[in-house]
Amino acid sequence: MSTRTSDLRRWYVIGPPYLWLLFFFLIPFFIVFKLSLSDVATAIPPYTPTFSWSQGIGKFLSQLDFENYTFLFGDPLYVNSYLSSLKIAFFSTILTLVVAYPMAYGMARAPKSWQPTLMMLVILPFWTSFLIRIYAWIAILKPEGFLSLFLMKLGIISEPLQIMNTTTAVYIGIVYSYLPFMILPLYASLEKINPSLLEAAQDLGSQPWRAFWQVTFPLSLPGVFAGCLLVFIPAVGEFVIPDLLGGSDTLMIGKTLWTEFFNNRDWPLASAVAVLLLLVLIIPIVLFQRQQEMVREAGR
Amino acid sequence: MDVATARDPKANTSSPQRAGPRTAAPQSGFAPWKNPDLPPIVRFEGITKRFDEFVAVNNVTLNIYEKEFFALLGPSGCGKSTLLRMLAGFERPTDGRIFVAGEDITDLPPYERPVNMMFQSYALFPHMTVERNIGFGLRQEGMPKDKIAERVDEAMGMLELRQFAKRKPNQLSGGQQQRVALARCIAKKPRIVLLDEPLGALDKKLRQQAQFELMRIQETTGTTFIIVTHDQEEAMTVASRIAVMEKGLLVQVATPGDIYENPKTRYIAGFIGDVNVFEGKVSKVSDGCIEIDANGGYKFKTKSTETVTVGQQVGLALRPEKIRIGLEKPTSDVNVIPGKVEDIGYLGSISHYHVRTAPGERVTALRANAAHTVEQAITWEDSVWLDWPVDAGVVLTG
Repeated sequence: MSTRTSDLRRWYVIGPPYLWLLFFFLIPFFIVFKLSLSDVATAIPPYTPTFSWSQGIGKFLSQLDFENYTFLFGDPLYVNSYLSSLKIAFFSTILTLVVAYPMAYGMARAPKSWQPTLMMLVILPFWTSFLIRIYAWIAILKPEGFLSLFLMKLGIISEPLQIMNTTTAVYIGIVYSYLPFMILPLYASLEKINPSLLEAAQDLGSQPWRAFWQVTFPLSLPGVFAGCLLVFIPAVGEFVIPDLLGGSDTLMIGKTLWTEFFNNRDWPLASAVAVLLLLVLIIPIVLFQRQQEMVREAGR
Repeated sequence: MDVATARDPKANTSSPQRAGPRTAAPQSGFAPWKNPDLPPIVRFEGITKRFDEFVAVNNVTLNIYEKEFFALLGPSGCGKSTLLRMLAGFERPTDGRIFVAGEDITDLPPYERPVNMMFQSYALFPHMTVERNIGFGLRQEGMPKDKIAERVDEAMGMLELRQFAKRKPNQLSGGQQQRVALARCIAKKPRIVLLDEPLGALDKKLRQQAQFELMRIQETTGTTFIIVTHDQEEAMTVASRIAVMEKGLLVQVATPGDIYENPKTRYIAGFIGDVNVFEGKVSKVSDGCIEIDANGGYKFKTKSTETVTVGQQVGLALRPEKIRIGLEKPTSDVNVIPGKVEDIGYLGSISHYHVRTAPGERVTALRANAAHTVEQAITWEDSVWLDWPVDAGVVLTG
């Protein structure tokens, strides 16, 4: 009796998030997956087949096929989009890590009384719309923008910089936008490290730089992994930044997806692109969970 | 010249080592601080450390000799840890120099100093096994691998850690972690081992075991140990000499026996062991004796080399075991005071008698319960006489 009520109570607690995931993730995913197996049609909605009870479920399923997927692998545009997205996401993740690590380290080592303020400064950009911040970068990066004018005033360059509408602009945009997602987990893991560990390393003859690589960095790895995933995963599917800053030069899967949906109105193909993107992203997530489990097993 | 001998004329008179469960040095005759020709292994010279306005360590000059087990004792915030951290290189002195084996190390970074520290938190590297933790210092020297393995094994053997070699620190108990921290410290065979409250996290029983282990390691390795502790019993047990610190100042440096028998100030007298202090004014100073007019009109007389002037306010410190308690009035008329037994603490081999004296002071006297020699048992509400010989008390001016 008492175990039954406690079982029931447990469901009250863990039920809602599962229901949430069911309705807002799993069911939409199956709708998109079904779409990706359909064919284009000039109709509303613009695909076929649509399910109707009169047809029966067997007939409906028999009309579904993997045609869109074979097409995706056959056309180099899509393969290149994926590869280019992965490449851009990978290098911008590395860049973000390189920029964020010293900042997170500085925050973790700052006097305790400063830390809330520094944390506030990291979070502050979120108070402005993401879109507006990317538009602001256009004003900075365009040939007659602030950056070129400033550098020309200083006499460092004589011609305006051609950064706008290049992959460089995309890198700048991604690093800027996702920096807080890297800094926060890094800071969280660096801040936990007992400062006497570094003193012990130095006391045992390790110079500060070696002590960093032997003690601080390995102990911050959970933060590094978490930060990299938080940047890498959304960066792969990023649409706004390559669209606004990258121009036509930059090939990214998010843009290709958008074009398929809204310009070509090929919903089934666009859905196939989305499903494949999800599969590509599941790999790093699984890797991350494996790593987390290992850390937990090590008992830290 | 040692500060202890400079400040305290009694430190040089040979008082016997405290009888106790000592197994480590000093063996009888181990007293390098008495040899003025022997160079100290550590010398603090006029060390001052200020944090903003706060003076953590105030003009400390101190010599520590090879193979000593030296204790820095004092309450938290007295500057003892800061002094140790300056020797390790984690803090820079505001003033003064630090010498190790005659060499000025004041400006050396921690990783170039011939000292290793055991931290209060142990500071074991959580991502490394016991073995790798212990070998960490040796790997920094670029020692060949087989040599490292040998030295790590030696250290693990000494502290009975071999079966934990592959474990991570969080898979060990507190006592085991403490031994790993010590093993990591001695694996490098430093000239000086620094211990910052090394046993503070252990429970009482484990702490006593660990104290003897520390002494054993100190003796077998022949290393100089410097321990920081706030636990006076711990300092008395392990140390060859103790430096008592208070508010950044070095108050007294002496052997445990000397500190106990001849405390320099009321603070030290109260800090180490139980003590009764009678307040009074100096009435006469003559041939090595000081006479005191105590509160309540009693006259005390005690042997002392302390320089005092007639009329000066002083305290007379008496350890409970030095005070005789009896029902008959003693024949002597000095160092005698009547009182009433208020409380008796029976501890088997000894009893504590808490006596309220006529001036209203509460005095504790100890008496061994040697059954057949006691002429009359003393009990509650008995009127008793307390007395002590002239060499029992210590005059406190500070």
